[in-house]
Amino acid sequence: MSKQSSIAKRDKTILLILLGVFSIGQLFPLVWLVDFSLCKSGDVYGANILKIPSPPQYINYIVAWRDGKIPQYFINSVIVNFVSVFLVVLFSLMMGYAFVRMNWKWSNRVLTYVLLGLMIPIHATLLPNFVIFRQLNILDSYFALIIPYVAFSLPQAVFLMTGFIGSIPRALEESAIIDGCGIFRILFQIILPLSKPALVTVTVTTFLNTWNEFIMAATYLTSDRFRTLPFSVYNFAGQYASNYAVQFAVMTIVALPSLIVYIALNEQVTKGVTLGAVKG
Amino acid sequence: MSKRTLKVFISVLLVTVMIVSLLAGFQGTFTASASTKKTVEIKFFSNLPDRTSNQGKLEQMLIDSYMKANPNVKIKVEALQDEPYKQKFKVYVATNQMPDIFMVWGQPSFFLPVMKGGYAAEIKPEQIKNYGFKTSSLKDFMYNGKIYGLPRNTDFMVLYYNKGLFSKYNVKVPTTFSELLDAAKVFRKNGIAPIAINGKDKWILAILYQELVVKESGDQKLIYDAISKKSVSKNQILLKAAKDLVELVNVGGFQDAFVAADYGAANNLFAQEKAAMYYMGSWEVGMAANPNFSDSFKKNVDATYFPIISGGKGKKTDILAWHGGGYAVSANSKVKNEAMKLLLYMMHPTRWAKIGWQQGLVVPGQNWEKFMTGKETVLQKKLTQIFSSATSVSGTVWQDAFTPNFKTEAETLCQMLVAKAITPEKFLSKIEELAKLEVK
Repeated sequence: MSKQSSIAKRDKTILLILLGVFSIGQLFPLVWLVDFSLCKSGDVYGANILKIPSPPQYINYIVAWRDGKIPQYFINSVIVNFVSVFLVVLFSLMMGYAFVRMNWKWSNRVLTYVLLGLMIPIHATLLPNFVIFRQLNILDSYFALIIPYVAFSLPQAVFLMTGFIGSIPRALEESAIIDGCGIFRILFQIILPLSKPALVTVTVTTFLNTWNEFIMAATYLTSDRFRTLPFSVYNFAGQYASNYAVQFAVMTIVALPSLIVYIALNEQVTKGVTLGAVKG
Repeated sequence: MSKRTLKVFISVLLVTVMIVSLLAGFQGTFTASASTKKTVEIKFFSNLPDRTSNQGKLEQMLIDSYMKANPNVKIKVEALQDEPYKQKFKVYVATNQMPDIFMVWGQPSFFLPVMKGGYAAEIKPEQIKNYGFKTSSLKDFMYNGKIYGLPRNTDFMVLYYNKGLFSKYNVKVPTTFSELLDAAKVFRKNGIAPIAINGKDKWILAILYQELVVKESGDQKLIYDAISKKSVSKNQILLKAAKDLVELVNVGGFQDAFVAADYGAANNLFAQEKAAMYYMGSWEVGMAANPNFSDSFKKNVDATYFPIISGGKGKKTDILAWHGGGYAVSANSKVKNEAMKLLLYMMHPTRWAKIGWQQGLVVPGQNWEKFMTGKETVLQKKLTQIFSSATSVSGTVWQDAFTPNFKTEAETLCQMLVAKAITPEKFLSKIEELAKLEVK
């Protein structure tokens, strides 16, 4: 008995050490980012991996906030992200339900068609979209970002939702129908609360993708008015030398919301991915 | 889900729809009102997203003062960093939506297709008569004898060095290649990186190779001619220069892992006084006044010619120099005349050249010596002296003188050479193969 427990203890220590090493490896870039965001630009790339900033250059954050136009870009990012995430969640729920539960002629083929979107590289769409948006006269507006963001996030979201909705027992819906539920009540009052884990996963992945997206934003926007947060990093990039420390400060500020979203919803995300996988 | 949550959900949906449609309406009215106003709007596309320091600051300063002097003109700046800039530039070209005034690299691999395609407006010689541009400096902005762009800076290569480190280890500042090798050995022994270089960026290696070719041959045209005529692999001078480069690597002439070092890494290594020399272009003139660097470094930094090679025919005053960035006006612009006026305003010698030089922001494309105030930093003075004493200049560096593909491949080959993945002989035969494929 005592031998067994000592083995268990040893295993646990090894596991803890392994996990410890792994988490240090994962967290180090963040620590490094914050550390050098408080140093002078010339300190980056020194001999030391980390450097105690003396004195800490808080001015970097002030400069980042002011010259990086963070407040304005932040509002734009929030608007674009919230609308995109909301639309993706709504559409993927409705589409997922339609593909899994409803019987219609082209159901499978349309699903395949939607999922084909997973394979389209962003760069291939820049030019055609630019032309289309110009003709629609929506270049340089929130739509120019929201539409492609929703389009690019939908295939993955639909993929997740179809898998997940398939795992919900039909009996629940059957009893709802007996109680007199219509389709929309089934969808929003039965399916929606049950699919919470999958919807959270969709929310987080869509949010992370669109929050950091740059190349589409750079192509479809021209004026400063609609620019999103990733642009503020580039506000400190020179043709040759860049102001690294301030860039790091910007990145720290930009990374915070995604970090918070992920930490807050972390557990739900793992649940959402695995639950959908079993019966997918 | 309760009835309440359903209601909330539906109202959120409705609000979103309303906001979206409102925004659409707002945007429509916005564009309509802009077109009815009488102000002129000029779209300015720049590769300098940092508007608060260096060239970006200068550009913004001139734009602001132009708008102040011309209240009816509104200049909308769009600034992206190099790579996104090139990406979006292609989109603009493909959709015929060129901004009214845009930045161009005066390299055939970038600007020649733009000029050939008729996207840039012609600039008449009489418009820039008193601007101090030499015909030679406009060469890369010309096509069929017509001028299509104006260069903003002069770029040339020098060897920056740290006076303090040289005197500390009692090393002579190298004037010949063998002295450079000796100096490298001494610094190596003392744990100082001899030359800091950004080998990851590749272009610097190709430029250094050309520097050695010029110092060996004394003939600025040699490397271009050899490639155009596709007779590279048999050329003894090109071979010798490649061997020199490898020798410099073999004595440990560059910092450890220099092939993986990017621009900032090499720059900071030198600025933190951990490297004795730094092979880089004149655009680093601001190092001597950069608040991010230590005072000790700023006191010690200096610049000199790249060393000559004993037995070679090149003089120290045969330098690599060219005009990199510049501006052009769109040929199809609706406000072409206004945009041209803005360009001529900015590039007037008393503006970009004078202000840029006196604030230590740039080494201008026009003659700047008449704007010297005597308050220049050591680097500004040394660079002026090096450039004004030049007996020959290279023009666009060899890898940029042909096609974009040639540039990528040639630079990769240079990196393979210094990483000793290929021998100097193999390097030359590969360059020759590449020339046969890419150069007509």
